[in-house]
Order: sequence, then structure tokens, then C-alpha cells
Amino acid sequence: MSTIDTLKAALEASLTPSPTVISVGLAIVLLIPILLHFIFSAATPYTTLPSVLLIGPSGAGKTALLTLFERGPRHHNNDNNPNPAILSPVADTHTSQTPSTVELAVSTDSPHTTTYRTDLDATGATAKKFLLIDTPGHPKLRRHALAHLSSPSATITPSLTTRTTPSHTGTEPNSTSKSKLKALIFLVDAAALADTDSAALSSAAEYLYDVLLALQRRQQRRGGGSSRAPASVPVLVAANKLDLFTALPAALVRSQLEAELGRIRRARSKGLLDSGEADGEVVGAEEGEGWLGAVGGDKFSFKEMMEFDVEVEVLGGNVVGDGPGADKWWKWIGERI
Amino acid sequence: MLDAFEIISTSGVVLWSRSYASVSPSVVNNFISDVFIEEKSTVAGAKDGASATVNPPYKHEQHSLRWTFSKELGIIFVAVYRSLLHLPWIDKLVDNIKAIFVSLYGDQLKKPNTTIVECVKFDEYFDQQLHELEQGSGKPDARAFGDEKAGTAGEEQAPLPPKVAHNNQKPQTRSSAESSPTATPNASRPATPAAGHLLKAKQGPGGKLSRRARKIQNNPSAPASSGDEATARKGKPVKTVKRGRKWDADGLADERDDVQLDYSIPAVTSDSEAEAGARPAAVEEVDASTWGSRTKGKFVLRDLGDEVHSILADADAKKNAAARTDAQSGIVGSSLSAIGGLFRNVVGGKVLTAQDLEKAMKGMEEHLLKKNVAREAAVRLCEGVEKELVGVKTGNFESINARIQKAMEASLTKMLTPTSSLDLLREIDSITSPPAASLRKARPYVISIVGVNGVGKSTNLSKICFFLLQNKYKVLIAAGDTFRSGAVEQLAVHVRNLTELTAREGGKVELYQKGYGKDAAAVAKDAVAFAAQAAFDVVLIDTAGRRHNDQRLMSSLEKFAKFAQPDKILMVGEALVGTDSVAQARNFNAAFGSGRSLDGFIISKCDTVGDMVGTLVSIVHATNVPVLFVGVGQHYSDLRNFSVKWAVEKLLSST
Repeated sequence: MSTIDTLKAALEASLTPSPTVISVGLAIVLLIPILLHFIFSAATPYTTLPSVLLIGPSGAGKTALLTLFERGPRHHNNDNNPNPAILSPVADTHTSQTPSTVELAVSTDSPHTTTYRTDLDATGATAKKFLLIDTPGHPKLRRHALAHLSSPSATITPSLTTRTTPSHTGTEPNSTSKSKLKALIFLVDAAALADTDSAALSSAAEYLYDVLLALQRRQQRRGGGSSRAPASVPVLVAANKLDLFTALPAALVRSQLEAELGRIRRARSKGLLDSGEADGEVVGAEEGEGWLGAVGGDKFSFKEMMEFDVEVEVLGGNVVGDGPGADKWWKWIGERI
Repeated sequence: MLDAFEIISTSGVVLWSRSYASVSPSVVNNFISDVFIEEKSTVAGAKDGASATVNPPYKHEQHSLRWTFSKELGIIFVAVYRSLLHLPWIDKLVDNIKAIFVSLYGDQLKKPNTTIVECVKFDEYFDQQLHELEQGSGKPDARAFGDEKAGTAGEEQAPLPPKVAHNNQKPQTRSSAESSPTATPNASRPATPAAGHLLKAKQGPGGKLSRRARKIQNNPSAPASSGDEATARKGKPVKTVKRGRKWDADGLADERDDVQLDYSIPAVTSDSEAEAGARPAAVEEVDASTWGSRTKGKFVLRDLGDEVHSILADADAKKNAAARTDAQSGIVGSSLSAIGGLFRNVVGGKVLTAQDLEKAMKGMEEHLLKKNVAREAAVRLCEGVEKELVGVKTGNFESINARIQKAMEASLTKMLTPTSSLDLLREIDSITSPPAASLRKARPYVISIVGVNGVGKSTNLSKICFFLLQNKYKVLIAAGDTFRSGAVEQLAVHVRNLTELTAREGGKVELYQKGYGKDAAAVAKDAVAFAAQAAFDVVLIDTAGRRHNDQRLMSSLEKFAKFAQPDKILMVGEALVGTDSVAQARNFNAAFGSGRSLDGFIISKCDTVGDMVGTLVSIVHATNVPVLFVGVGQHYSDLRNFSVKWAVEKLLSST
């Protein structure tokens, strides 16, 4: 009996319009949304980090480069190595199936510390963080990379959660952080390019053609419609494996790729239409869509891409072994971030 | 013997590896691209949780690979060994290593934005497992040695404070008793005690019981003997005979590093034998001292053995528990979760289970069947998608159907996308005018076209010819159909038409024919020789249509491929055909002998089927051979490059 009475009393008290009840009610109404906001904002990172995309044919050394940049600084200062687990700066790698992302930092203020080995914490330099996204190079999985390029918005969604849920869709729907694509590194195996009989050159060039074409279309689409000037994405063609005796120097890699891209461009212009493209109807709109670079030229050169605000540079380096190393590439990234 | 063992993440980084013989990285690379990316094996690659016994071994040259895959964490465990060897324990090793690695480093693997996993300590776990399994199958005399070991161990017992004392004590024991047999790498050793002692705290009867459970020996005497281990250790008169036999004489140098790994095995065997109660009293005492030394934490590696066992037992228990909870769940729990599930259906963020997917997957399968995809292919696609989605969280405001749609799109794209470039013109260029640096000689590019009767071989041949002529090639058409009445005349008409059509463009086309009744392979060979002489760029060889299940007709294809040496063998398949397309594609793909297969498909009559382009999927599913062209009309110009995007859109469109 008494419990019912007390319940009744409590109910009555809570429904009578007394100042305490009103203030408590108000407090609850106002605080809960704020609390919820903090809980959710803590769970989801809102910061947008700039990102750099690693692209290239299979076996070029993309994943190895990624691990070099990630492990390099820790490996370097051996005296107080914070991480004894890392025995070598480059991990062994195999064919990738999913993209992977690492967060790296490049120093912004001091130009002399332009190697990835500098420990930024030690030098006290202000660092800028960015994401380096490695993509699989197997032809069947290239859509991972191209999805980054052809996405309509300026922000792309790196798959943060690939480690936990390696699902095979292009961009992860459940990852929350967006990031701006700042630069693109196209890695090629300079040693494989030297072998004229193998298909390495043509397959690398074909991939590069698709990538450059995607960038060009991005620029064209944006240039036509929207008012906002799109962020241009510079491209670094990184000639990897210069430590090998048979590798071509960077200048030769450049000329070989340009020649091959020109050949592809010619062959594509003569090729058949894709299925699904209705011919004869919208010829005007399709004109120049599949043509990379300046219209009408016979020889292709990377300079033509400047017309579409795509800067292409070729630099040599190597991930493993003795040679110029990857410092040049790191410097290039540092300048673009 | 094992050649290599690697733990690889799906992003391509080797997390941990051990190699005993040099294995070319291309072995594992090929394994990954064949099994996981191209899914060449009949069993779809990405099967989560399947043990290595279920996954078929992958063979590459002289190596065999046993593997298992953890989808949740995205890591692959591969053991590489010579195909000649018979290693019965290899499945168990792969599975056990997976269980141990996942339980030890699972947390690290879930961290975003890094590829580093600190697993140096894993070496010891691996060694322990490898030797336990190896000896479990191979070494009958391991037990005797173990007793001896136990003897020395029992003697040098002193109540030590765990970690520090252990490290200090080691040199002393080595000098005094000369018993410390280990060539254990000292560098890696200090790492273990922490883990070992941590585990030891909850060690003891529990760990032992679980191990016993694994051995399936429920003898009632077991708890009693494990209870008095502490006292047993102290008052143990160790048998001098055993101690002195081999140990002092051989000393340190003789014992190689397999000694270090022996510890757990003898413990296990003697353990079980003690339980069986079939042993004399004296030996039982020694057994007891074995336990004592183990619980003492004296031998790190022995602890490691226990730790490994407890991890494995945990993994087993977890699996069993999961199975049990699946079977029984309370009414309240299920209804609550049902409401939550409905809510999540709308809002998203739901973790998908097989039950959630079942109905939607049925719908997707129906949809694919309606699009004229063969049942076999549809089922495999759906299974693949289901496996991929179980355990995945849906995005915000994303329904299950939308998620499935997305996953299906991805997996169709992956299936239809060719592995290598399919630019015919550039390939022809590289053959007919090879780069100056290469040693190849210029020769005509040979394309031959095969297929079932009436699918449009000659029509598509003339379409390709028209396309080549527009690109100013000199084309020779060889009439390889020496069987059907009017076949040669039909080609002659095509050639006449094409000559007229392309007279201004600069191409040149001729017909090479030997009349009826001749051997098609010989005609093709002569045609290629003639083309090389007359400097033609491309030879197009027509063949007679043949039923794919007619052995007699199909067998002549092998000879044909050998004589004509075509650069490309294209098969024409019609979009109209249904389930039979799978068998057609398989039989033709296998007909050219072991060293040769189809290079591409031409799908004809695509204009007649509208959206129902499922045949594309069926044949690519059956053979892993890409589609090159699609025919979309009756005219010479109605040939199109195959666009994956177009096909996927058509397949998934719902009308």
C-alpha cells in the first residue's frame, strides 16, 4: 500500500509545475542533444587529411614503398629504436588484394629535412599529416584506384576499415573520414620496362593512360559545369627499382612511356566503340572524350597534360637495395602536400 | 620438410614469415592472384573460417601450398612445401598457427592506418607448434628423452621469483648441471617470460584439463595427480640412472635446437600415459616432477607449450560455444534482437548474418536467372557475395538489398574485367612490325574463329575483317569450313562486299580457299604460309561449326590449333543460348589440348535479347576467358568492344 502511495506522490510531484521540475526537465532536454553530439563526434573523426594515391601495375613495388615510408623513420634511429619489432625498413610483400592506408607526416617548415627517415618528433618540426593510399595493381582490381579518381566530389573516401572488413566494394561505405586527393604517384618497374619483349611496358602504359584520362575527364567535367575551380592533382611517375642493373634511367622511362602512350592513343582512336555507347547520336559530345592530351597531336608528351592542369613529373628511385633511394619521391610529396 | 610459412595481409604485406628453403616470391604471388583474385579454383577463394583441410591445396610447379584465410582480419596463412613430400600434419599446423596468431595479434590487426604488426615473438610459438606436430607424427623415442630432461629439470628446482630470477639463474644452471641444452636464440628469449608468466597465473589444472580434453582422456585419476604437483616437486628423488645416461656425456654441443622444443611433447605423452595408469611407480614419480618443473616456470618453452595449448583450447571452446549459442537463444533475447534488427534494417549499421541475407540472396538469384544467367553461375555468384557480406556492417541508412546490389555489382565487375589488356590493334602491330630491338621476325597475325553451328561465326569474322580493313591492314580470309555446302561461297560474297566497301580506305582483303572436303587444319596451315609470303598483316580463319559434345568433331580442333598456330582463338557464342552456354564454353576451352585454350569470346546477337545478357556471365564464369567483342546488329559495323560497365548495368537493371 505504502509503495503505491509513494509512487503516486512522486508522479504527482513530477507533474506539478514547480520550478525544480521545470528546471530539471529543461536541463534534460537541453543536455541530451549536446551529450549525444559529443559522443558521436568523438566516435567519428571529422578531420580531413590530404591523401596521396599510390597507383601502378602489379609488381611495381607500391606496397613495398608504402611500408618503407611507414617504417623508415622508426628504423633509422637505431639507438633508441622505439619499435624493436621492425627489423627491416621494408616489409616483404606479395600481390595486394585490397587497398591499404597509412597515416604519415611530412615536415612543412624546414626544407633541409626532406627525407622520410627524419624523425619529426626529434627535430621538433611542425609536421603535416597525410594519408598514403596503396591500391592493388592487379588488372581485375584496378577499379579500386580508378574509383578514387572518377568520384564526382573533390573528397574521396579512403577505406580506413579495410583491415577489419576487407570487403570488395570500391569505396567503403562505413568509413567516416573523408580526405582530399592531393597527389598521385604512379609507380613503374623500370627494370621490367627495359625488356621489350615482355608486355610490361604496354600494360603499364595502358594503366597510366586510363589514370591520366580519368584525371583529364575530371578536370573537363568540372571546368564545364561548376563554378568552383577543381584542385589539380599532380602526377609523379616514379621509376622504381633503379638499383637493378637492367633498369632504365628516369629520362628513358619518360620517353618510353610517352611513345607508348602515343601508340595507345592512336590505337584507341581507331578502335571500336564500346558496347552500350550509341553511335551517331551524340557524336559532338563524345568528341575528344577518349583522346588524351592535346587534340590532333601525333606524338604524345606529358607536357600536353598541363592543358588540363595535370602536372606530370618522372623521377627515379628505388625501394630496396643500393641506389638513389626514395628520398626524391618523399620530397616531391612534401612539396605537394 | 616445410619450405616456408607466411602470414600475409590482404593488402599485400607479409606480417610474419619463416623460410627453410628459398622459395621464389612468385609462387605465393601466383597463388594469391589465382586463388583469391581470379578465383580459378572450383571452390571460391575467400572462404572464411574454412580450415586448411577444406581448402584445396594449390600446386605451382614443384611446390604445394596449404592455406587458410581469416576474412575478419584479412590475413592469409600459407604453408609452402615440396609436392613430393607427404606431410600429414600440415593442415593442423596451418589451422593451429591461425588460431594462435589471431588470438595473440588480433587487436593489432584491427588498428587502422598502419601496416605494422609486432610479432617477433611469434617465432617461438611457431617453432613449438611445428615440432609438436612433427614429432607427434614422427618420433616414437621422444618420450624417453623427455624423462631424462625432466630429471635434470627436477633437480635444479629452486623456488625462484619468476622473471628476473629466471634470467639470472640460467648461466648458473648451465655451468653446474651442464643440463641447459638449449641453443635457444638468446636475443628473442627475454621476450617470452612476460607472456609465459602471465599465462602461468591462470595456468595449472585449467590448462592441463583443456589439454586433456583435446586428448580425449577422461580418466578420474588425473585431477588427483595434478593436485599434488607442488609437493611432488620438492621431495622428489630423481632417478640417477636416467639423468646420467646421455646428458653429461654429450654436453651442450650435441643437442641441436630441436631440444628446446621438445619440452611440451614429452610432458603431454607422459601425462597421458600416467593417466592411463599403466606405468610403474618410479616412472610416475618422474612424471610428477615434470609437472612440477613446468608449473614452476623454470622452462620458458615448456610454458610456451602450455600457453599454446590453452590458446588452441580457447579457440576450440569459442567455436563450440558459438555453435551452441546459434542453436539455443532465449525467447526474450531473440525478440529483442528482432526488434533491433528491424530498426537497424532501416537506419543501417546492422551487422549482417546469414539469416538476414538468405531471403535477399534468393531474390538476387532469381533476378540473375531472369537475366538468363545459367543457374550454376548464379549460384556461385550469390554464394560469393553472401560469404563476402556475412559479418559486414551496413552503412548509414543502407538497406540489405542495397548492400547486396552493391556487392553484386563489385563481384560482377571483378569477374568480367579481363586480366590482361585486350587491345587487338596494338597486339597486331606488335606482331606484324616488332620493335627493332627485339629478336622476333615480322609475321602475320593469325585469328581463328570457332563455335557451335549457326551462332554467326562467318558473320562475325567478316565484321572483324571490316574493322581491320578500316585500319588499313591487309587481311587474308581462310575458308576453313570445308564441310558445309555454300560456306566457301558465303565467304567469297563477304570478301567481295568488303572489297567494295573499303576500296577507298586503303585496306586489302583476299580469300584463301581450297574447295570442299579437304582437311581444315591443312588448309589453315597453308593459308598462314601463303600470308607470310604475300606479306599479309592478318589471317582470319573460319572453321566449321561443331556441336560441343561431339567428341569426333571436337578432337580435330586440337590438330587445328597445332597446325595453324593461331595468336588468338575466339569463340563465338550467342546471347540467346541459355544454360547450355556453360557447357559450350567449357568444352571448347578444353578442346585445344593441354597447352592451349580460348583467348576470348565474341557474343553475337546481343541486340536480340535486350537486358538478358546473362550468357556473358555464364561463359566467363565457366572458363575465366574474357569477352572481347559483342555483336549488336546485322551490319558490318555492328561490332563493339565489350564494356564491363555496360554489361553490369544491364544485368542489375530491374524492369
